[in-house]
Amino acid sequence: MLLNTREGTVVSGGVIQLVAGGAAGALVVFTTPVLAGQLIGVKSVKVRKVMLRNNAAGNTTVFLGTGGAAVGIPAILPAFDSMNGLTDSYVVDADFPEVEVFAATISAWAAALAVAGTIDVQLEVVIIG
Amino acid sequence: MPDLYVFKAQVGMFDPIALQNQNVCIHYVQNTYYRKVDFLESLPPFQCLNIGALGAGAVSARTNVANLEMPDNEFGLFRWWPLDDVQIRLFHPSGMAKWQLRNLQVAVDPQILVRDPNLVSTEIAVWENNRPAMEAINAHAFALGAARVVAIGYRFHTSEIKEAVTQREKAVINQMRGESRRQGKKDAELMLEAFKEELLPITHVWCSGRGIGD
Repeated sequence: MLLNTREGTVVSGGVIQLVAGGAAGALVVFTTPVLAGQLIGVKSVKVRKVMLRNNAAGNTTVFLGTGGAAVGIPAILPAFDSMNGLTDSYVVDADFPEVEVFAATISAWAAALAVAGTIDVQLEVVIIG
Repeated sequence: MPDLYVFKAQVGMFDPIALQNQNVCIHYVQNTYYRKVDFLESLPPFQCLNIGALGAGAVSARTNVANLEMPDNEFGLFRWWPLDDVQIRLFHPSGMAKWQLRNLQVAVDPQILVRDPNLVSTEIAVWENNRPAMEAINAHAFALGAARVVAIGYRFHTSEIKEAVTQREKAVINQMRGESRRQGKKDAELMLEAFKEELLPITHVWCSGRGIGD
């Protein structure tokens, strides 16, 4: 069941596991829906919640950026701390500013990962348009 | 009749300005067309325009809103708001500023949803393919990714008024035929006179702006 807010529709992306550190290990964690079949318009998204689970990856930071998995993705938000072995949840307004993204996808990557460590990432966003 | 006026204000979606078999007088710049509504339907909210990305402090080119064009013999009634944080200047048709004061052209921004929740003041009508145009202004010191506009409204199909159709119209026309000054006139002429003299109700629909001093 999708949550319809005054601003738009709230949806969640899938749980994506980061397995390689650095921007080169970036993975798409959310894909903006398109208005397929309609005459006009684009949709944008605002991140509402960022959920991280650190699986023995060591203390590190996770970035969110636009574009696909590649080096040099422009970050859209400040880095999120991810503590070794812990789950973190960040909420818009309280923990990070509201940023509207017009890109086709949002990617996530960790600054570094301990050997064999991974981080699970899931976003909740509101779709506008 | 309570139905026959524009700029209605009430909670929720706005009412149509004419119903089946009611008559409208469409004003487009200096032209007037007397028509009878023979079909109408609602148009749920839809994105009608995306002017596109705008740099900091930029004003977009004047962009025709082709998606608000109507088919032949139809007019649309729309209320609208900007989805993104831009100010929109409306032109209707493209060469004529809408909401023009002597010293200022009034613009609409997303705050309209708070200041005028029924969007009464944004109501416009579009006759056939005489569509409006919009300019977007980005007042921010940073670029915006899009300048989208959402519209909601009604679609009216109309037909030419050739004769009296309803009982009320027939009664008025029959009465007019008895007046000596109207002898020899056809039904269509009598109907026109009945509207102009307000013997029959009609909704006036302004489908364009109007130049100052016109």
